[in-house]
Amino acid sequence: MMKQFDPTTLEIYRALYTSVAEEMGVALRRTAFSPNIKERRDYSCAVFDALGNVIAQGDHMPVHLGSMPMAVAAVLRQVDLKPGDVVAVNDPFAGGTHLPDVTLVMGVFTSVSGAGGRGPGKNSRNPTPDTRHPFFFVANRAHHADIGGATPGSMGLATDIYGEGLCIPPVRLVRNGELDEDLMRLILANVRGLDERRGDFQAQIGSLKTGAVRLLEIVERRGAPEATEYAAHLIEYAARLMRRAIESIPDGAYEAEDVLDDDGVTDDSVPIRVRITIDGSRARVDFTGSAPQVAGPINAVAAITVSAVSYVFRCLLGNDVPASAGLMRPIEVIAPEGTIVNAVHPASVAAGNVETSQRIVDVLFKALSEGLPNRIPAASQGTMNNLTIGGIDSRPGDNAREFSYYETVAGGMGARPALDGMSAVHTHMTNSLNTPAEALEYAYPLRVREYSIRRGSGGKGKRRGGDGVIREIESLVPARMSLLADRRKRGPYGLAGGEDGKPGSAAIISKSARCGARRGGRKRTIASKGSWELAAGDRVRIETPGGGGFGKTR
Amino acid sequence: MHRQNRKLTGARYVLHSNHMVTNKITNRRSLKQDRKVRVGVDTGGTFTDFVFESNGRLEIFKLASTPLDASLAISAGLKHVSDKTGVALKNLEVVHGTTVGTNALLERSGARTALVTTRGFEDVLAIGRQARPELYNLNAVKPPPLVPDELRFGVSERVTATGEILDPLNENALAALVERLRKAKVESVAICLLFSFVDSAHEEKIARALAKLNIPLSVSYRILPEYREFERTSTVVINAYLQPLMGSYLSRLSTKTPRLRVMQSSGGSISATVAAEEPVRTILSGPAGGVVGALRMARAAGFDRVITFDMGGTSTDVALCGRDGLRLTNEASVAGIPVAVPVMDIHTVGAGGGSIARLDEGGSLRVGPESAGADPGPACYGRALLPTVTDAHLVLGHFADAGLLGGEFAIDEERSRLALSQLARELAKAARRPVTTIEAAQSVLSIANTNMERALRLISVERGFDPREFVLLPFGGAGGLHAVELARALRIPKVIVPSSAGVLSAIGVLAADVVKSQSRTVMLECSPEMQEKRVKEKLNSHFKLMEQVAAVALTREGFDRSKQLHERSLAARYKGQSFELEIKQTGNIDATFHRAHLKRYGYAQELNTVEIVSARLRSTGIVEKLSIKRGAPRQRLRASTGAVARPSGRAQFANFEGKKLRVAVYQRDELKPGMRLYAPCIVTEYSSTTIIPPDTRAGVDEHGNLIIQVT
Repeated sequence: MMKQFDPTTLEIYRALYTSVAEEMGVALRRTAFSPNIKERRDYSCAVFDALGNVIAQGDHMPVHLGSMPMAVAAVLRQVDLKPGDVVAVNDPFAGGTHLPDVTLVMGVFTSVSGAGGRGPGKNSRNPTPDTRHPFFFVANRAHHADIGGATPGSMGLATDIYGEGLCIPPVRLVRNGELDEDLMRLILANVRGLDERRGDFQAQIGSLKTGAVRLLEIVERRGAPEATEYAAHLIEYAARLMRRAIESIPDGAYEAEDVLDDDGVTDDSVPIRVRITIDGSRARVDFTGSAPQVAGPINAVAAITVSAVSYVFRCLLGNDVPASAGLMRPIEVIAPEGTIVNAVHPASVAAGNVETSQRIVDVLFKALSEGLPNRIPAASQGTMNNLTIGGIDSRPGDNAREFSYYETVAGGMGARPALDGMSAVHTHMTNSLNTPAEALEYAYPLRVREYSIRRGSGGKGKRRGGDGVIREIESLVPARMSLLADRRKRGPYGLAGGEDGKPGSAAIISKSARCGARRGGRKRTIASKGSWELAAGDRVRIETPGGGGFGKTR
Repeated sequence: MHRQNRKLTGARYVLHSNHMVTNKITNRRSLKQDRKVRVGVDTGGTFTDFVFESNGRLEIFKLASTPLDASLAISAGLKHVSDKTGVALKNLEVVHGTTVGTNALLERSGARTALVTTRGFEDVLAIGRQARPELYNLNAVKPPPLVPDELRFGVSERVTATGEILDPLNENALAALVERLRKAKVESVAICLLFSFVDSAHEEKIARALAKLNIPLSVSYRILPEYREFERTSTVVINAYLQPLMGSYLSRLSTKTPRLRVMQSSGGSISATVAAEEPVRTILSGPAGGVVGALRMARAAGFDRVITFDMGGTSTDVALCGRDGLRLTNEASVAGIPVAVPVMDIHTVGAGGGSIARLDEGGSLRVGPESAGADPGPACYGRALLPTVTDAHLVLGHFADAGLLGGEFAIDEERSRLALSQLARELAKAARRPVTTIEAAQSVLSIANTNMERALRLISVERGFDPREFVLLPFGGAGGLHAVELARALRIPKVIVPSSAGVLSAIGVLAADVVKSQSRTVMLECSPEMQEKRVKEKLNSHFKLMEQVAAVALTREGFDRSKQLHERSLAARYKGQSFELEIKQTGNIDATFHRAHLKRYGYAQELNTVEIVSARLRSTGIVEKLSIKRGAPRQRLRASTGAVARPSGRAQFANFEGKKLRVAVYQRDELKPGMRLYAPCIVTEYSSTTIIPPDTRAGVDEHGNLIIQVT
């Protein structure tokens, strides 16, 4: 039985721990080097208790919600964290999600001399001097623009994990405060754009230190026993709120199915099935019946599936609830091993995190819409349109260097029961920003040629689905591009009689043809998943799906 | 003229208002012939504040604001100043802090605006950064763009990052564009092309072609020649959106008082002409005035590092001023729309006196962001029974029977108690122990303080500043009620409650220098092996150009070269980063940047190349200082050396930190320089209250400021 908590103190700790996670995020963003982290904010930061339960996570990337704790758990299982150690991990089968997402974890120990040189305040109890067991862990996860493998950007069409890039099991990147240069050299030898990678690792380490300093201040000010106790209360608090939210759904079993277009290797659609059983304040989410894992990179590891479930139920709560371990306490997830929602080694997983996660969300919302017809929106674009372009930057005036650029493109949001869907936004499992055209052109041999709203792509209905986006990028040098996208065959579903949104599409417009007799160029439609060579002057044009409509048009 | 004024600096001005009078010393020289009168005017939601110098004294008064046309209250007030001083309206030197721009943006009541941009990028304004505003809110909405779809026009042209003309501007199409704009009946046009800050020729050509429309044009290379197209477009569009409104407002005012200046968001004033052309620079005019005023008061009292804390009914603004003055940011947003011109780095949180306390479903005590506002207001206003921060103070006895606004505003303490006793019952249920009304009130305050402490930490600790080196300066109605507690939490050693806290904005507006900020995106690499000389030469040529522009403008505004200050700074980063740190352009650029990065983020990367993104110039026309300065040495009095002041009335009981204590009560206007105060005590004044808990030492300095030693 847990000790009784005080509502005032609980609220104070909610604010304290959340601000630590958010401050870590600010530090990371402002010092990172790859546009992917600094401009697009594809990262998450979180604070964990001594057992590795998440206490607070910044409002960064929903896809990291349920998966960060698994990374920390894997680290704790495999490494004995000492003061001054930082462990890196990206192994999708040991707490990671896909290889570009590298998670760094550090223990927060109180120092023997009492944290910091300041004298104890009037109310502060000295923390127990203990350097063996951390009080907290801090972790951050950032999507690195390249982690090796066959295609620049490491988001290509491999058929196993080995082809996708460098896999890092939980290993110490920093030992006793010293960066392990040998390990760093090994990592950097396997990735493109090593200066950028090194800088990003530095920024991640700096952000962890920021988090640790803030946590020690809290312990110093308020005392270790209280800080630990309220970490536990915060977890239970989130669990209570989640139970209330589940109670608001009528008891019963809700089923749904949706498909991914294909895995990029064969042409077959890949179904995901779910059965959500609501029983009072508990929910069981069962994915039995979903497709077996596939050859192409759309396999999701269990961490991603848990993240998607966590996200969907989180949306049923009000704002401002700490993303703590408690959220998932009332929810049981059943994801059979060896399926598309719980792939096992050595499956390729690059798109599981970014594409399959979106489809899992679509399936879950579709099922819940039966129980909550007035709260659930129609399907949003359901893809992140992952585009990577890489090669040698041989623009004059600069030394030739490798580059690797990654971005995701927004689309239409599904219509809501009382509102149209938003146009040109990222939805559900991501919220990463775009890279400004002017920033892109400075940093890479690329040029944005068009960036506009794809009018008319949202599904019709009483409420209209949001429109997708058109983005056309020209490569100024010969380069290799990869695309991982979905919702190219069938558009995002409408609800309550609303029409589906328009599916997305992609094309390469070649320069040779453009300069020829027919202006406008030869336009070659490309598949939703794959890699292609670009000649200098070729353009990639991406049209993203519109959201589904809601309700019949009168 | 100038010489006479300089002599005046030695004179001693006296603050005078309905709630504060200090000793009057008149200066005969000024009585005789100085006919130059400066007036600071700050428009607020309720009152329009006026501060003016007359006969060597600083006078203050307030008039009710006229929300439908703010200029009405201003005209009435200026007439009053003119009558009182005998100086004709047209000779008054007026500096104005305005909310016209902010309000128009919040209420979406600006002009019908068109945007002309590079073809293919017409939707950049609507797409923004493609992120949704709230992660987990399925019903979130984005604010619609200020320029609707049908008024965004693309022109065929393209300039590259290196300034190469890739696609020339089709000038033949411009005539058709003019026609379309005319037909669309737009009132204002924003022009923003990609990479125009590298080569502005296309924007200039378009501006020339559109000149025949005879409507205001906002051109991006003039307003914000910096990279990142969305933020730049957004800024230029705001400017266009506000231009007609601001233009007519200011011209109404300046027909009567032609010597009109406007406070800009970055803490200096600009001429009414510039403000009418670039209203986006005035978007946070009022709050900026408050911070400048606070800094002036603190400096006069001998403190050069200040954290200001302006707590009102619904929100709290905090800002940090270091030894080098006010801190600016280029990453602000107003009403959810980015504004990338420099504005004072003021952080706002949704916590104020009206913030509502409630127990949420999970059993956590929340305070805000919902606010009871002025209507229905806190429970004590008698309209609703929502327990607010104000009610908590009332129940704890922190208003000392004085009520609000000097007792003019009737409040019902019983209702506060009722609202908080309901909250106490809920808290008791959640905590499974008895909770008294007093405890509930204290809980509300500690949550409110936690929220505000978070804001204060964000602008200090998180930006590499140690709060222990600062003083905390509260203002606004509720600032003094929380300041000491917050100072304790952040280990800020001293709190200074300024003597005319109610009109700090107007004082700041009056005291502000004339400032012209310019910037250029330059993108220069600066590494040791690259000859730094070449980089510096390039920078010099940029700076020289900007200085010429600024010097001409300032001279035109009546500042000769000796009254001009041009400060160069650089926005720099490690090559590959996306966020810049602003550094002074002194000595070795590399070394300066490494130090700045170390201070801000805790580490430096000496091996990395430093990249200079922008050259920034802040040009100041130095305004005659307001003499809130200390008098002759023999009159110097230090706080807490004089006699202990006699409390104004009966001692009362109030709750501090869980204890019921007998406290002294002082009327602020009865306190004289040099006096010491009993602690604990409560100091009441017309529009605010200060609580001084036990274990502090408090006194009044020679300017009438309350100085509270916290540690």
